[in-house]
Formats: sequence, structure tokens, C-alpha cells
Amino acid sequence: MKIGFIGLGIMGRPMALNLLKGGHEVTVWARRAESMQPLREAGAQGADSPAGAAQGNELVISMVADAPDVAEVMRGVVQGAAPGLVAVDMSTIAPAAARRIGEELAAAGIDFMDAPVSGGEVGAIAGTLSIMAGGSEAAFARAQPAFACMGKNIVHVGASGAGQVAKACNQIVTGMGVLAVAEAFAFAAKNGVDRSRVREALLGGFAYSKILENHGQRMLDRNFKPGFKSWMHEKDLNIVMQTAHELGVCLPGAAATAQMFNAMVGSGLGEEDSIAVLKLLERLSGQA
Amino acid sequence: MKVGFIGLGAMGRPMALHLQRAGHDLHVWARRPESAADLPATVCATPAELGRRCEVVFTIITSSADVEAVALGADGLSEGMAAGSVLVDCSTIAPDAARRIAGRLADEGIHMLDAPVSGGSQGAIDATLAIMAGGDAAVLERVRPLLACLGQRIVHVGPNGAGQVAKACNQMIMVAAIEAAAEAMRLAAAAGVDQARVRAALAGGSAGSRVLEVFGGRMVARDFAAGVEARLHHKDYGLVLEAARKSGVPVPLTAAVSQQLNALMSLGWGDDDTASLLRVLERSAGDVSRTR
Repeated sequence: MKIGFIGLGIMGRPMALNLLKGGHEVTVWARRAESMQPLREAGAQGADSPAGAAQGNELVISMVADAPDVAEVMRGVVQGAAPGLVAVDMSTIAPAAARRIGEELAAAGIDFMDAPVSGGEVGAIAGTLSIMAGGSEAAFARAQPAFACMGKNIVHVGASGAGQVAKACNQIVTGMGVLAVAEAFAFAAKNGVDRSRVREALLGGFAYSKILENHGQRMLDRNFKPGFKSWMHEKDLNIVMQTAHELGVCLPGAAATAQMFNAMVGSGLGEEDSIAVLKLLERLSGQA
Repeated sequence: MKVGFIGLGAMGRPMALHLQRAGHDLHVWARRPESAADLPATVCATPAELGRRCEVVFTIITSSADVEAVALGADGLSEGMAAGSVLVDCSTIAPDAARRIAGRLADEGIHMLDAPVSGGSQGAIDATLAIMAGGDAAVLERVRPLLACLGQRIVHVGPNGAGQVAKACNQMIMVAAIEAAAEAMRLAAAAGVDQARVRAALAGGSAGSRVLEVFGGRMVARDFAAGVEARLHHKDYGLVLEAARKSGVPVPLTAAVSQQLNALMSLGWGDDDTASLLRVLERSAGDVSRTR
């Protein structure tokens, strides 16, 4: 399939590479031209604008930072779009913003799908991302061959915006999950108990989770390299809290967690992995 | 002096009347003209017309977007107000929105003060509002005689936006105190103790506060008619959390209280008084007393 790909950051680059590996014809565009070079070397065409990335393609995918970026590149996509184009945004943005962009593109005859991902850089490289899609059945079917190259657990959650709602739910669970593991470790350490043994013991029971296994191990290794930067998790939790505010949903746990991530950004831990919340807890418990 | 007033709600109406009673020539504009019909004022067709006629214009409306539209939009104040005239915005809006609007008006030579108020509709009626002003000190001195018609405590907090920051701080402390009062009243009732007596006992001590007096009183009387509509506190909490986020300042208690406000909204009490936080707690757990 002929696919345009916009946004070649930590996530976008390996995702685009996996599309090439899957045998698709890929045209890329990124704000920083030099980030297109590795993709060109791997066989992609480079475009000079978002419109160029859409031109002559059946599918265009964006993977950028935030809603205004998505809106901006999609305005370009409209310029270059051929009739019947399906546009898929895999960034994490507010559900309401995704619905709005979907309506705007529908008016231009483009079928838009929100399809944010979970699984981080590791999942992007391995092609094992979880993909949560919102939009029409037809768009989902058209995007399926591309999704299959990038992800493993691919779910059509519902109508436009539903993918972003699922992603927001994902960030509630992962945000609180990382904080829960960090709190357990801070608690164990303050009690003078070996955290690695605690982790090992817990892995066999109901407290088992991927986060306890993977993030927990990185906490033990004190490997705070991102992964997933805590400022991005903070941004995503802000989407959750703003949506909850608009709808009147009571989320006490997520609200408390969002403030911990807020404190991380404010205290200079924003560029570290979200597991650096452990450092913040240690600081607040006299362990650092 | 020719004074303009926009926003004739529960706060704005008594404030406008105080200015008129002090001898000022009151001009008003209202989105629904009928809401201004019974006022002793000249009713203007647009904010621009009001701006043309007045030296000082007051606004007290709901959101940042509303203030932006009235001040800078089509037929807005900036189209009519002369250089050197003053906009006093008493609305509660985001500090950065206040700074942005002040900056745009300054380009036209129009002064602006952000001057949000605290004290509720009773304070507006009694002219006892606390007024927290942000903007140029000399401009504040020019309009101080007008502000003195509305409140007794008028503090120049700092440059534009500083008044809104102070108001955000005010809302954080006040609504958290309402939640604390509600939790205490709930605990007292659940323990089979008379809420009114607990409130009376606390009033003289370290936990005594204006919130416990006013909002605690409403809780005891189960009088949930607004005073201050809870939906406005909910709105303000959105602003506070956004400001905290932009500054990277953790506000764990504010965040917890904001979720109780979210629950209050979804339970349909947004138009009622914020004392309804008590009802949220009652809804979270039944009246079954646990003994252990």
C-alpha cells in the first residue's frame, strides 16, 4: 500500500521503518529534515510538506506531539489529498480534539481515524504496539494492513474519539500503576526490606503486572532513561483530568497521580522516564 | 463620572447599583437587554457603544473567552473606548488570559486592571467585597474611589494577572475549607453527634473560620440554595489546576477537592451552593453506621 507518514520522533521513526519492512511504499515528512535521512536510507521517499506526504497515497499516518500539531499537519494533508484518502492520527491527544479534527476532515472528504498506541519505544521497534482505534469500520479496514506492521493488539474501540478515550484510560491505569509500584518500593526500602525480593514475591500474586515486572526492574536498576518521558505522561494525564472536569467524572486517584507528575516536571525530572516518580517519593520520605 | 457596567448577574447587578447610588452616570450593556430594563441606567446597544460613552468600564462575566469577546471582539469595548480610559475586569479568569487581554488593550492606549472579587453575592449587596487588583498602581489609584463603592479591602497585588493569581489562591483555600467543613459535618453526623453543636463548639477555637460559619451554617440548616453556585467554583478549580500545571507546582489537596467538585457536577448540583459538597459525601457512603 502507498502510505504517507508524518512525524519521525522516538515513536514515529521505528513505526515508519516497520511499514517499510512490511513491504509498503512509504513517503515521510518531518519538521526537522535531517530526521528523514535514516528513513530515506531505508527506502522511503522524502516529502517537502505534509501535503506532499499525502499526495498520491491511500493512507496517511501522523505521529506528532499534541493536538495543535495534529490539526496543523492535517490542514496540509487536506491540500495534498486524493479522493478517498484515509488519515490516521496515532498521537495522543484529547478525545474532543480528535472528534473535532475528524469532523473537519470529513467535510473535506477524508475519512479520519484516531488510533493512539501504547507500548512505548520498545513496542514501536518490535512492532508490538497496542493500537486503539476510533472511527468508521471502512477506515479501520483500510488501515488494517498498516496497523498489522506496527502493532499486535489492534482493537477498533468505537466511533471517532473512542481510540483517544481508550488511550486516556490506558494512561490512568499506567500512571497509577507506575506510582503504585514506586510507592511499594519506597515503603519497602523505608522498612529496611530488600525491594528486589519484594518485587520477586509479588510477581507471583494478584499484584503481578507488566509494570511491576518491567518498570519495577528499571526502578531497581535505577535506570531512569526514557522510555516514556514523564512530561509526556503529565501531558496525557492532563488530557484525562480536563476531560473529567468537562464531563463531571470523579477520579480521585488519577488526580493525585497527576499532581505527582506535575511535581516531577516542576522539579526537573520531566525529561526522565516516568519511573523517576520513585525519586520524588524518596525525596518526600527522607530517603534521598 | 460616566461608568459602564457589563455583567448584571447575582454579583454584577448590586455592584452596578452601588456605583449609580454613589452618584455616577451608569451605562450598561447586557446580552439580554431585558435584564437591564429595570435599572436606573442608560442601556447601550453594544459594548463598543458603551465604551465610547464611558471613562471607566466594569465587567464581571463568566469565562476568559467571554471577557476576551466583550473586550476585543467585534463591537467590543476596544472599538469604542478612548485612549486613557480604564477597563476594570472583576471576572474570575485565567491569569494568562488577563495578561493577554491587558496587553492587547494597552496597544490601543486603554488601561486594564484585573480586579476579581471575593465575598459572594452577599458581599456584593453589602458592598463589603475583597478586591484584589493587578495592573498599574497609578491606574488603580484613579479608579480607587469607584472600587471603594464596592468593597472595603482593596489590595494592589502586582502587575496585570496578579489579581487573578490572588483570586486563584483565594479559591484554593476557600473551597478546600468548604470540603473540610463538609467532611467534619459528615463525620459528626455519622458518629451520631449533633452537627449544629459541633459547629458551635468549633467556632470559638482554632478551627473557627468564615467558611465554617457561613457554609457550615448552610450545611447544618441543609440550605443548599446558592449563595455561590458550585458550578462557578468548579470552573475556578479548572483554572487553578491549569495554572498549577503551567508552573509545575504540585497541588495535591486542590486536585483531590476538584474531584469532589466533579462528582458534585455530575450529581446535578452545579446550580446549588457549594455547601452541597456535604451531599456528595453523603452520596459516597450510606447512612449505615459502622461499629467496631
